[in-house]
Amino acid sequence: MKKILYSVALLAVATLGYAQVERGNLLIKNGTVLTVTKGTFENTDVLVKDGKISQIGKNIAAPAGVKVIDASGQFVMPGIIDAHSHAGLDAINEATAPVTAEVFTGDGLNPFQVGLYRALGGGVTTIHAMHGSANAIGGQCETIKLRYGVKNADDLRMEGAPRTIKFALGENPTRVHGGGNGIVPRTRMGVEFVIRESFSKAREYRAAWDKYNKAKTQKGFRGAPPEYNLRLETLADILKGDIIIHCHSYRADEISMLLNVCKDFGVKRLVFQHVNEGFKVAPELAKFGAMASVFADWWAYKFEVYYSTAYNAAILTRNGVVTSINSDDGELMRHLYHEAAKTQKYGALTDDEALALITLNPAKQLGIDARVGSLEVGKEADIAIFNAHPLSSYTIPTFTVVDGVVRFDRAKDPDDMRIYVDPTQAVDMATFRDREQGDHCLDGAEENLVNIFGLN
Amino acid sequence: MKRIYPKHVFAALVLLCGLGAPAMLRAQEERTLAPVSGTYAITNATVIQAPGRKLEHGTVVVKNGLISAVGKGIAIPPEAIVIKGDSLTIYAGFIDGLSRTGVTKPKDENKEKPKDPGNPSPERAGITPQNDVRDFLNPADKSVEELRALGFTTAQVVPYGGMLPGSGAIVSLGASSPDKMVLLSKTAFYSELTTAERVYPNTVLGVMAKYRELYRQAVQAKAYESLYASNRAGLERPSPDRILEAFYPVIDKRIPVVFKTEKILDLQRAFTLQADLGFPLIAANVKEGWDMLPRVKATGTKVFLSLDLPEEKKEEKKDPKAKPDPEKDQLEKRKAEFVTLYAAQAGAFQKAGIPFGFSTLTAKTKDIPANLRRMIKAGLTEDQALAALTTNAAQILGLSDRLGSIDNGKIANLVITDKSYFDEKSKVRYVFVDGTLYKFEAKETKKSDGKKVDVSGTWSYSTETPQGANNGKLKLKKDGDNYTGTITSTFSDKEIELKSVSVEGSQLTFTYTIRVQGSGVNVEATATVDGDAFDGSMTAGQYGSFPMKGTKDPNR
Repeated sequence: MKKILYSVALLAVATLGYAQVERGNLLIKNGTVLTVTKGTFENTDVLVKDGKISQIGKNIAAPAGVKVIDASGQFVMPGIIDAHSHAGLDAINEATAPVTAEVFTGDGLNPFQVGLYRALGGGVTTIHAMHGSANAIGGQCETIKLRYGVKNADDLRMEGAPRTIKFALGENPTRVHGGGNGIVPRTRMGVEFVIRESFSKAREYRAAWDKYNKAKTQKGFRGAPPEYNLRLETLADILKGDIIIHCHSYRADEISMLLNVCKDFGVKRLVFQHVNEGFKVAPELAKFGAMASVFADWWAYKFEVYYSTAYNAAILTRNGVVTSINSDDGELMRHLYHEAAKTQKYGALTDDEALALITLNPAKQLGIDARVGSLEVGKEADIAIFNAHPLSSYTIPTFTVVDGVVRFDRAKDPDDMRIYVDPTQAVDMATFRDREQGDHCLDGAEENLVNIFGLN
Repeated sequence: MKRIYPKHVFAALVLLCGLGAPAMLRAQEERTLAPVSGTYAITNATVIQAPGRKLEHGTVVVKNGLISAVGKGIAIPPEAIVIKGDSLTIYAGFIDGLSRTGVTKPKDENKEKPKDPGNPSPERAGITPQNDVRDFLNPADKSVEELRALGFTTAQVVPYGGMLPGSGAIVSLGASSPDKMVLLSKTAFYSELTTAERVYPNTVLGVMAKYRELYRQAVQAKAYESLYASNRAGLERPSPDRILEAFYPVIDKRIPVVFKTEKILDLQRAFTLQADLGFPLIAANVKEGWDMLPRVKATGTKVFLSLDLPEEKKEEKKDPKAKPDPEKDQLEKRKAEFVTLYAAQAGAFQKAGIPFGFSTLTAKTKDIPANLRRMIKAGLTEDQALAALTTNAAQILGLSDRLGSIDNGKIANLVITDKSYFDEKSKVRYVFVDGTLYKFEAKETKKSDGKKVDVSGTWSYSTETPQGANNGKLKLKKDGDNYTGTITSTFSDKEIELKSVSVEGSQLTFTYTIRVQGSGVNVEATATVDGDAFDGSMTAGQYGSFPMKGTKDPNR
């Protein structure tokens, strides 16, 4: 008990000492406001107080001392949310074992990556910083806000966002572990076995602890507790419903497989990532309540992802599947609004449906839709402003606001946005293409294959 | 406790040299005879007893390994060997908060990928907290002599390893046997965020998770052991586990976790683990702490700041014909601003009122005095620097009753210089460790005749790396006053262009870059040239420093 008190006190001190996320006040005047959920309003103002949207309406007077952005002729939308990214991380894959549920990308956050600022330049305000796809059950992921400029990794975390974990099916885990190390899984059957075995062990682990905790309440009980195991703790938390699964997947058969496994173990919170053959199993996904996070039109980069269509997002949406469009890539992340617009060419989604693919829907998939993802009074003031309609090919992001703080202003966009400079790096290196650009799903998993294949 | 008289120590050293090590004998010729007495008096010197406590024309008497008297006009014992201290300054011996001085590096075992990289042996995973640095101490290691020559008399040393290398000890930098070096053992539960090569935990994510799991398992095992000890009947026997047992003193808050936290994010990650697990923390070899001051202060964390600083850019002669490159100039400027921040770190901690010591873990020994001067130039006062080297460090390590100042009864660890230690031209003349005297001859400031040796030609060199011997050819070509050259290695016959070659007197220095797993590693080699041979060392970034020898190929 004393120890608990001590930790609580420590935490309190720590919280008081440094973890103060900046929240701003702001008035955005006279823009076309795309709320995504409540319609579109012209010549309308958005007032932000202490990092939250406090009013949306016409002719709102600016409170004294509040920064005003004149958005006349511009378009104001919710900050873009990327449900699949590997930005802001020092490490992505703990690729040494097929199951690594205990690891957590939140331990590897790096607030100094310039890529985070570049994403802000594309209107992105929140990303799902994911573990890679080397393992059948990878690590837990962290949802972060792009508060670029902070120096404490903790200040990037979206406090209170639900826990999530990365799973991966198909070629990546079978190649890394089966092909690379000659261990299970070598096949899709093996991947299913690894997941079922893990869940079964977690169930036994939880049962053993429940039994022990129950016995302990009885007077005079003396006995040994089960051995603490962080991996099984985490897996048990998935079974309990505390962690949302985000599963890397491509083929319809493997998607159906995981739906069945989850049904068998009572797991309900499930989001499929990539899910290029999702259009084949859209009704099944909708029935289960599983969601899908897809690329607009990216496929054929390896065998398991030859069969796909640019209508995927629209078909999933029309079948009632909560669908988002993600980047999984530092460059693509900067124009997710283009990616969303493609669904109007391929599938004729409405403006609100297309915008929801990169705002409200990814928010739902991350369990943060009560806080972000649309422009509504009471929601957090994560806002992107564009000089033309964000679904236009010609649009340019002008401001990006996180918690009411302007984190990107196109008019004030210095050349060198690095926060920390490596004093040992030769200066000419700073202008080189850095390794943040490029694909990271298999970072750390394969030394050369990454360069040969564009892995996702 | 048996008192070890310095003269006995000396006799033992003499015996050792005489019997076993003729080479050492040559190197230490002037010390092969034991001093006639273990008592010393340094007279009429400027005695800096502690930062801010200065005694002019003072005398310090050393007896039986301790400081037995300090003051003005005190009686000099008749048996004392007198060192005339006129114009000399005496300080308390310096304390290094974290290094591997005198610690032998175990031979790297096989780093092949094992069959199941997810379940490596604890040793392979870098999990050896049960190791004790005392098992790896070697007082004859060159590093002991080198650091002592700078005035360091005490160091907290830790074993080599991965994320949990083992427990540290506080040692004297000079003694006749490993155990005699030890002032205090098991002083630190040493931790790093070092990943295991090709096996779990292979990323910082894995290291953090494994750290939490082991700590919580240890808490659990410890609780069960006490339950078992209270009444054994009918209880399963606890399974002994030396790895988990190593955590027990930390869980009891009897010893701190000394965490190597060089980068700002290392420091934040150590804080994350501390907040999760609640251990007492000493942040060591901190290099980028200036933005973490509020958190360091709020948590009351003790710190050892690194004496390693990034190199300052040397003034280059600008080529007047070169095209102006404002982008590059701007980048250079920002880099230089950052280099200054590293040097100003100690001053920033001082200003924030956070006491700190220094650590030499990654510092090049020869750069340490210059780095201290850079810190002083960037805002630290000389007294503050001295406090970090002596009183503060002693306090952080819990040794204030024995070390850190020149007072009666304290251990006779002294450094005696011919000018203020922080003066660029200052030379260390004498060092006392546990009452044993080490003398340093005043070297000529200028190179004998300023004549540079000619090193042009092809050299065959060899280095001993943990991966085995590395041999190759070093080709140096004279180009006006400068040299250019190339180098090959066992690993590659391809000639790599040298980035720089310089010759100062007989000192040859060259640098080049090799590619290791896609990233560049800078290699710096320095050697003393003697005719057709050179002898020195090669430093390859984080991979460490290796001895290097070379001979000139005969001209064909």
